[in-house]
Amino acid sequence: MDKPHAIIIGAGFTGVATAHDLALRGFDVTVVERGPIANGTSGRTHGLLHSGGRYAVKDQESAIECIDENMILRKIVPQVIEPNGGLFIALTESDLEYGEQFIEGCEACHIPIEELKPQQALKLEPNLNPRLLAAFTIPDGTFDPLRLALSFAATAKSNGARFHLYTEVEGLLLDGQGNVVGVKTWDRKTNQRGELRADIVVNATGAWAGEITEMAGASVPVKPTPGIMVAYDQRLCQRAINRLCPPSDGDIILPQRRMMVVGTTSFEVTDLDYVPVIEEQIELMLERGAEMVPGIRQAKVRGVYMATRPLIGAGVTGRSIARTFKCYDHKASDNVDGLVTITGGKATTLRAMAEATANMVCAKLGVTAQCSTKDTPLLSYRQFYALP
Amino acid sequence: MSNKPSPSNWPKWFDPRRREAGSWAFILNRLSALGLTFYLFLHLIVLGTLAQGEAAYDNFLETIHNPLFILGELVVIVGAVYHGLNGLRVGLTSFGIGVSVQKQLFYITLAITAVVAVFFAVRMFS
Amino acid sequence: MINEWKITLKIYRQKGQEPPHYDTFELEVNPDEYVLDAIERVWAFRDRSLTFAHACHHSTCGACGMRVNDVEKLTCITPIRSVVANGGVLKVDPMRNFPVVSDLVVDLGSLYQRMDQVGHRSVLPLGEEPAPHPAAAPAPEDLQALRLADCIECGLCISACPVATTTPAYLGPAVLAGAQQHGLNGDLKLLELVDSDSGVWRCHSAFECTAVCPSNVDPARRIMDLRRQVIGARIARFFGRG
Repeated sequence: MDKPHAIIIGAGFTGVATAHDLALRGFDVTVVERGPIANGTSGRTHGLLHSGGRYAVKDQESAIECIDENMILRKIVPQVIEPNGGLFIALTESDLEYGEQFIEGCEACHIPIEELKPQQALKLEPNLNPRLLAAFTIPDGTFDPLRLALSFAATAKSNGARFHLYTEVEGLLLDGQGNVVGVKTWDRKTNQRGELRADIVVNATGAWAGEITEMAGASVPVKPTPGIMVAYDQRLCQRAINRLCPPSDGDIILPQRRMMVVGTTSFEVTDLDYVPVIEEQIELMLERGAEMVPGIRQAKVRGVYMATRPLIGAGVTGRSIARTFKCYDHKASDNVDGLVTITGGKATTLRAMAEATANMVCAKLGVTAQCSTKDTPLLSYRQFYALP
Repeated sequence: MSNKPSPSNWPKWFDPRRREAGSWAFILNRLSALGLTFYLFLHLIVLGTLAQGEAAYDNFLETIHNPLFILGELVVIVGAVYHGLNGLRVGLTSFGIGVSVQKQLFYITLAITAVVAVFFAVRMFS
Repeated sequence: MINEWKITLKIYRQKGQEPPHYDTFELEVNPDEYVLDAIERVWAFRDRSLTFAHACHHSTCGACGMRVNDVEKLTCITPIRSVVANGGVLKVDPMRNFPVVSDLVVDLGSLYQRMDQVGHRSVLPLGEEPAPHPAAAPAPEDLQALRLADCIECGLCISACPVATTTPAYLGPAVLAGAQQHGLNGDLKLLELVDSDSGVWRCHSAFECTAVCPSNVDPARRIMDLRRQVIGARIARFFGRG
């Protein structure tokens, strides 16, 4: 066999980006996904191309990842991005106090910000709360979640990656020593069971990562942490509007197509496959959103949904967990070879997560290929369907 | 892929579920077109009886002097009026005129057709 | 969340080459939930073999188009109370005029290929597809800022179109609207493509596309506008100025 074969479980952001990275490095790649592309957390993300400002005070590692990846994604996949920037706005005295830490944090993370006078901010965004006290511009953006994933998947496909969609991994194939050598699949399109073998299996199932590692008797400290998003039927701002305060409920309003999406909240669940909407949180999003853009009260709710973040952490909860990502070689942590897990992170850092995962895979298999995804423009998302 | 509508699919044109006004206009347009086409052939066949002599034609005229045939003629008139008026509607909207009021244009078309139908019905049956 | 309504979901099922059938599921729902939520719950708790496409759950991605009680709907933004009453039956079918992959999933490949062919732009300046509400109009200096296009390429208009039903080669409402959004602008290849019997002239003005469009694209109006552009381009060429 000339090319090493990698199976990637999951076609969310990390799965498709890892498929793209490994395909570019010359791997034979098979992606196994139980549903369509980006049907879980990835599809339901807020859609904010993070500048890192949200994390610049408490979680600078994530903040730096965000600003670096933000700039890379703008270059390699402009076809899915509204690159209009964002504002952080202060509405109270305590917001202003946080502002000082915010300026320092952004400087430390090389996030370019610019302070605006309230009148200047209102000239840019006339629908902001006119009582705002201060504002900063920041290089945020909006992306279309499905199309971002499809762009990576399309490019991977053009480089030979195969996608088995609607195919659930029901178990792992183990050798005599408990090492992973493949996956047992159930193709839900045709109702057929099968097996796939590979040199390495990458578990890119995000919040569901624990379900896969369990099949190998291994574990990862993933804390599935859902939050609500509420989409409104009017676009009353052209930039991402962030509340100048520590990360909290309903602190971001994101324009997207003709809509605005307000998010989010943070709580823990055990059943991941269906997270019901908590109605009080819809009201909370309206209250918090209307503080920043009062006109939201005149808009109609267009959609309400829950997305489950894969936070990494043991002991700490919710908002205080770092938003960075982590790769696990289960040989090191659980003495199970052939299995790598990538989880945590944010949509904005998908490419960096893939790079780290592919680096680990290459190191394990003794492959020397370098990562080239930073400079590789992605194909049109439509090519995913157009390619055979 | 085929450029020509496959005859096996024609019944789907008249699929009446859930339709909006525009679709009813389209369905009626197709039905009236098929009806008028059928009538045209019928008409030619009937004219063909002229070639068989005066007696044959008079005989034919005799048979169509009953209410059923008169009703048929009324249907032809109504079909032709609707098809013509809707043709104007489609023609106008095709050039971007009145696209936003296409539903209203359809209702006007129906209203005029109804008035014509009543007018001819009264004349033909009295 | 209070599940105060009882409905029956009647879902189209088809696996591989097997003949299709309907499966029914009695479900307790909150009427303010969306149809997609009910379908996702069937998958999560009742039948793991059910396949359906979805991603963003708020009408930006266009993945979850289906026929709900025979009407094309983007199921993620269709509240249950808007399509069925308490105790009623909610019939869910895959979209028409696309090959069925499995259950509620259809292959949108032809649509995506054609959207690429006509050069539909996925992001474009804010000013080009203006906001419907005066309050939402962008500041003049923002008109050159970019935003994602109105068309989410969901395929609902093609499923609803009576002409697409009988003529697979017809480019279809979304694609012609995509060509209009791109603009002819002297693009000869695009002119030949849309000025054909599979193009703008195949439309028979049923206006179903605009009736089902969940995303303000108004494909019918755009097709009519494209016809005007086509005739303009032909006249200009006739007089040697094209």
